[in-house]
Amino acid sequence: MANQEIKSEVTGTVWKIECKAGDRVAEGDVLMILESMKMEIPVEATLAGEIVEITVQVDQPVAEGDVVCVVRP
Amino acid sequence: MSAPRPEAGQPEAATLDPLDELAFRRDEAQRQGGETAIARQHAAGRLTVRERIARLIDPDSFREVGSLAGTGRYDQQNRLLSVTPAPYVAGLARIDGRPVALGGEDFTVRGGTTFGSSRRKGGQGGFVEDLAFHYRIPLVNLIDGAGGSVTSIQKRGHSVFPGVHGFERSVSLLGTVPVASAVLGTAAGGPAGRAILSHFSVMVRGSSQIFAAGPPVVKRSLGMTIDKESLGGARVAVDEAGTIHNAVDTEDEALQQIRRFLSYLPSNCWEAPPVLPADDPVDRCEERLAQIVPQKRTQAYSMHRLLQMVIDRDSGFEIQPSHGKALITMLARLGGRSVGIIANNPMVYGGAMDAAAARKQIHFMEMCDTFHIPLVFFVDVPGFMVGEKAEKAGTLREGMRAVFAAGRLTVPTLTLVIRKCYGMAGMATCNKNDIDLKLAWPSGEWGSLPIQGGVAAAFARELRAAPDPAAREKEIEAELAAYASPFRSAEAFAVEEVIDPRETRPVLCEFIALADKRQQSSLGPRLRSGVSP
Repeated sequence: MANQEIKSEVTGTVWKIECKAGDRVAEGDVLMILESMKMEIPVEATLAGEIVEITVQVDQPVAEGDVVCVVRP
Repeated sequence: MSAPRPEAGQPEAATLDPLDELAFRRDEAQRQGGETAIARQHAAGRLTVRERIARLIDPDSFREVGSLAGTGRYDQQNRLLSVTPAPYVAGLARIDGRPVALGGEDFTVRGGTTFGSSRRKGGQGGFVEDLAFHYRIPLVNLIDGAGGSVTSIQKRGHSVFPGVHGFERSVSLLGTVPVASAVLGTAAGGPAGRAILSHFSVMVRGSSQIFAAGPPVVKRSLGMTIDKESLGGARVAVDEAGTIHNAVDTEDEALQQIRRFLSYLPSNCWEAPPVLPADDPVDRCEERLAQIVPQKRTQAYSMHRLLQMVIDRDSGFEIQPSHGKALITMLARLGGRSVGIIANNPMVYGGAMDAAAARKQIHFMEMCDTFHIPLVFFVDVPGFMVGEKAEKAGTLREGMRAVFAAGRLTVPTLTLVIRKCYGMAGMATCNKNDIDLKLAWPSGEWGSLPIQGGVAAAFARELRAAPDPAAREKEIEAELAAYASPFRSAEAFAVEEVIDPRETRPVLCEFIALADKRQQSSLGPRLRSGVSP
């Protein structure tokens, strides 16, 4: 299966990144936390695999639908 | 158009035995638009209308109506050569043992447009709608057509005034029987309109498109070149616009979703929804619910996961999962009984209600109200969405329409506050003038606005006068926070019960079952009056 992009569901700011390239993750693992509407919004892995790339940095604004990282199944 | 086959033009055709003629005409109907047209339909990754019907319904339950309608070709002696079937296949059938009316355009015949007769099988004002209306059974539209063709004006010799074949029947169906539509091709014009006049609609990603008008019209009207997928594919029509409710990857899944949707609904508004034997214990208490809401009030959690722990196992069917995602609308079962679940989703903008979420909630509430499906609200809403984008989208008006629609509900509702219930968006989650119950978890908090942030505005003068305004603000916040406890509201009987999160399922199952007599005694069409804001 091809690499899967993990996208942000919301517009907000990257608050904390809780994984790095090369990490193995399970479906439902929290990959990073965004701040939006004064709430901490976890971005969860939608599938199990290996983090290939994190495409955002802490404090970076993201829009709804932006790719925040890439997972190889 | 099928070519006349050599064996069709038998010289003695005019004097055929009537039973042989019937068999011949039936056979012609089964040939649809001919082998080439069927192959073209398959090559586009689409099923024919007859294949769709067979896959949708209970085996061998199709009772076709109007199978002989079409356009006959005769020789000079008036002997029958061939029949091109009407481009619409319709009839009655069973889904899960219950009768339905169904029909769909046959795209292999003239692209699913009209045929010679002045009486319509399908389309607006078509006979299939009469079947659903008079038999008081659900209607399933299998839509694969682009509406009127200008060739019919030539045949008729005049143009048809809009509304002569009107939507009156489609409109009255919406208040009486369930209507489900699958968009299985490119839909524009009338067929597109009928897809919207449905309680539930679904389309196929990649192979279906829907729009008011397709690329050629857009090109002519606006000079804009755009392909049909960008104009009306699922990403636009489902995810962004909410024109169609659900998107799936295959036609089979679309048909499956229609069966699933109908399984929660009664056959008409004079009946209560079907009750299935519950295969999940109603007294199941889920230990994990005690911990699911984080202590820190700014931390989001998964409302989807929460709902799955409460409803009957695997009974959830989400409507519009990819649109207006700050809100979850889901048909489900509690103790085998159909319920409509409306839950705020803290993972998307903290669950704040935007215009899309409001519209989604309104449609879902009205549908459940019409078919007597009790509503259960899982509330965690900080208020209406704020900001310039939200104001431009008309959030305040759409949000107040949700409040208006909630105020007109007569179906039993249960409101369970999980965390936040603030402001006017909070008012859209209950029908507080009725006896409908307001329950809360101990994590519940509510008010016209949160204390945090509200103090600065409400106590401005006192804060300015204080030697250390920031410290005084904290003090007042702490003082007010004690009153904000849900137990204080329960003391005042402002909420009926505060429940242990682990007992959510048993409590909800019991209240839903207890509402049965109320539900049974208010069957029939809903009368809605007044002007929606």
